[in-house]
Amino acid sequence: MITPILLAALALVLTGPAPALLARSSWPYRIPRAAVALWQALSLAAVLAALGAGISLSYSTAGEPGEPRFDPSSPRDLAAAAVLALTALVAIRLAYAAGRVAVGTRARRKRHRDLVDVLATPDGLIPGLRVLAEETPLAYCLPALRGARVVVSVGALDRLDDSELRAVLAHEQAHLRARHDLVLEAFTALHMAFPRWVRSDVALEQARTLVELLADDDARRRNGPLPLARALVALAGSPAPAAGMAITSTAKSATVLRVQRLADPEPRFPLLSAATYATAVALLVLPTVTVAAPVLKALAEAVH
Amino acid sequence: MTTDPKAPRPLGELERLVMEQLWAADTALTVREVHERLSLTRDLAYTTVMTVLDRLAKKKLTERERDGKAWRYKASAPRADLAVDLMRDALDQAGDRREALVRFVGQVSDEEAALLREALSRLEAREG
Repeated sequence: MITPILLAALALVLTGPAPALLARSSWPYRIPRAAVALWQALSLAAVLAALGAGISLSYSTAGEPGEPRFDPSSPRDLAAAAVLALTALVAIRLAYAAGRVAVGTRARRKRHRDLVDVLATPDGLIPGLRVLAEETPLAYCLPALRGARVVVSVGALDRLDDSELRAVLAHEQAHLRARHDLVLEAFTALHMAFPRWVRSDVALEQARTLVELLADDDARRRNGPLPLARALVALAGSPAPAAGMAITSTAKSATVLRVQRLADPEPRFPLLSAATYATAVALLVLPTVTVAAPVLKALAEAVH
Repeated sequence: MTTDPKAPRPLGELERLVMEQLWAADTALTVREVHERLSLTRDLAYTTVMTVLDRLAKKKLTERERDGKAWRYKASAPRADLAVDLMRDALDQAGDRREALVRFVGQVSDEEAALLREALSRLEAREG
């Protein structure tokens, strides 16, 4: 009976206090790549621990391995079956959310790309670049396995000199190359899988900021920090268009964080990075081994 | 995307040129009419224009109607309407469309703009 309690406690810690603490810390911004891995491990471990708690609870309620098979007249067996069904429901909901996010995102992206292709003019500066005849300063990318696009508006071109434009394009190409959209998609699916009153968007918001830092680091290595910082200020500093734009508080601080980070020397923290990766691995191993151990033990006993 | 040998797709570029013809015309155009207009500036096969118009119809960017034996195509919406759609989609960073595209940077408040300028001047002083 101790395993399900341990796993449930682990799941609770990994969904509540741990993300809150991590989101308040500033050290993850020094090592964005390792920090993304840590957030991924944290989220996956929380899911595994929650599912593992359900499986092991059902398992320990149903009695020892080797006991007679499922007996519908026994309340203990019925409770075990109910717990198992509930666990399966959570797993199905998660898979459903992942599918819905994947399909929805691709449909929206495809429609947007179709519009871009008939409205914007190709530019040979980098492959897939499209220039949009709009005054609103705007630069973004549309990720895809093939035929990804980088879209820049005329308003953005007017505000950027050559080196700043190159920095923006390097940043967008870094997103496309590393498929940061897939990282964000996984966190979105996880976010969407839980009912509104229990879910928090801490992990998703952190992942959003961290992939921006990763793309910034890539652009900084190619062109130096100054053009990128200037481009960020030039495009962010412009007054918001009249059409009421929703701006989240986290998105705000992310921009300030990015420019302040570029103003500091390039971060190199190999030890912190290694420790973070080690923590990520440990987080994944812990629930997996806890769930797998009794099953493996039972299997070994069954063989003998 | 740098490894994509097919970008930019030649048909994709033609889609834009065909749409421009449809937007410029007062009435729905047949494939022949679109072909004639495009042939003024470039050498194009009739069947290519047919393929492009068909693709645009599948993407719901054009609508077609029977006119005797021929199909007549028109843009499903004025260019300005589609541009509004596109911009709304691109600027919406709060809704569930957010994951479809990754924006370089969002808008900031006045206080944040001040913080940004302060950080930038710090960097400019260091980089000389």
